[in-house]
Amino acid sequence: MKTPNIILPLYLIWLIILVFIPFLLMIFLAFSHTNGLDFSHIRFSLINFKEIADPIYFNAYLNSIILSASASLLCLLIGYPIALIISKIKKNSLRNIILIMFILPMWSNMLIRIMGWEILFNPNSILNVLGISLDLIGSPLAIIIGMVSTYLPFMIFPIYTAINKLDQALIEASYDLGANKRQTFRKVILPLSLPGIYSGLTMVFLPSATNFALPERLSGGNIVLLGNLINSNFGKTFNYGFGSLLSVILITIIFITMIFINHKDKDGDLLI
Amino acid sequence: MMSKISKSMILIIGLMLLYIPIIIVCLLSFNDSMRPYEFNGFTLKWYQAIFTDKSLFNAIINTWLIALCAMIISTTAGTFIALQISKLKQKYKPLVMFLNNMPILNADIVTGISLMIIFSILGFSFGKYTMLLAHVFFCTPFVVLSILPRLKQLDDNAYDAARDLGCSHFQAIIKVIIPAIKIGIITGALIAFTMSIDDFIISYYTTGSGFSNFSTWIYSRLNRRTFNPAAYAYNTIIILGSLLTLVYINLNSKGGKKIEKN
Repeated sequence: MKTPNIILPLYLIWLIILVFIPFLLMIFLAFSHTNGLDFSHIRFSLINFKEIADPIYFNAYLNSIILSASASLLCLLIGYPIALIISKIKKNSLRNIILIMFILPMWSNMLIRIMGWEILFNPNSILNVLGISLDLIGSPLAIIIGMVSTYLPFMIFPIYTAINKLDQALIEASYDLGANKRQTFRKVILPLSLPGIYSGLTMVFLPSATNFALPERLSGGNIVLLGNLINSNFGKTFNYGFGSLLSVILITIIFITMIFINHKDKDGDLLI
Repeated sequence: MMSKISKSMILIIGLMLLYIPIIIVCLLSFNDSMRPYEFNGFTLKWYQAIFTDKSLFNAIINTWLIALCAMIISTTAGTFIALQISKLKQKYKPLVMFLNNMPILNADIVTGISLMIIFSILGFSFGKYTMLLAHVFFCTPFVVLSILPRLKQLDDNAYDAARDLGCSHFQAIIKVIIPAIKIGIITGALIAFTMSIDDFIISYYTTGSGFSNFSTWIYSRLNRRTFNPAAYAYNTIIILGSLLTLVYINLNSKGGKKIEKN
């Protein structure tokens, strides 16, 4: 279309204002000692870097990595076969129904779903009627189950899209050339669905580590993750400097992941 | 490769993980007791309470209004942005896509805090408009992403052909391009709506004290221990409502296919 349009430049400016300016501000805040956004008493300081190395926070970093990584891995182990099974269903209507069954839970509010688990995991739960008391609140298992339950669809769909995009002729060629089902999966389907796996892992790992409501509810406040740490610094203690430093580190990790994913998935259509 | 039994096993595990909390909440929405660990008998009073609890009712209305507005704005803007991106020179595309994808991959909490910081520096008063702005912000990239692949499939000559046949620039877009990318637009709108209606973290950081949506309402009530099980009832209505709609659509489209065959 030859008519020059103003909307794209405007959109880019909007993205820069809402993504990159705050990012620069956070870098600035990370190097300063401040209370909230009060710029009048701001001064340069490395106190936040000292704070981040404080051993009392190590548990939060470790929890974030271990719990979110376990949840991501579990999502992959459960989600990959599911994506594969759905993509192999020949009947259109059946495939659509099963796909819908995995989309539908996302329309239930996330907090409500977490509350559902919380109610079930409490020592006094509806299960007492059956003589069972799960009593999982506060355990890492409760948090991992909550994460997998909340983010499983985000693993299934990118992988499903990647498998669906795969050229059927390649699979037929693999059979024609004498590969059996297992070999075809290992040498053709799996490598070609890797972009979907990377995308899925990111879409599960990052939200798991940064959703502060989930550990709050499922651990009774005992297990603290990165998200809780950031949330309490911005929301409760107004220690914006430390919160910003944590966010800047997180954004840096996200940047690196994005460059990696952009490299693997040129169309960018595995993000949705 | 996988036996039938292991196939159904893994599907059942996946579905159980997703549906157990929803079923629990559904059961509790009919429970006469306030306490979630005892069942005192069947009741519909929580369904009535959706309408009598003013703060909950307002939060639900707010959620829908924000989601609808965010969907309309982001879908309209996203469509035109995608049109522009598809016409960009190849060398600029990766950078633009990088900018576009940033809000999608960014952690919600970082997006929320970024917006909170920039909104307070710009002197905005926090409330419905900041929340709407935030929702438009995180919905638009999804719309762009769902439309771009459709534009790629579109014949480059379609627009020129329309112009040659006498359409104005505007008519060519409305009558030729938009219908061709309709599915992408609808998908984008649905994703935008879903993201907006379920959002908690970004809304939490971009709203003011007087304005809450369903998620922020639940969160504030949980911490104050004044939770109203009417929220369970609302959630159950949403799930059952969407289930019925989807079943209806599926049955209808099957009927449509039969007619085509005949």
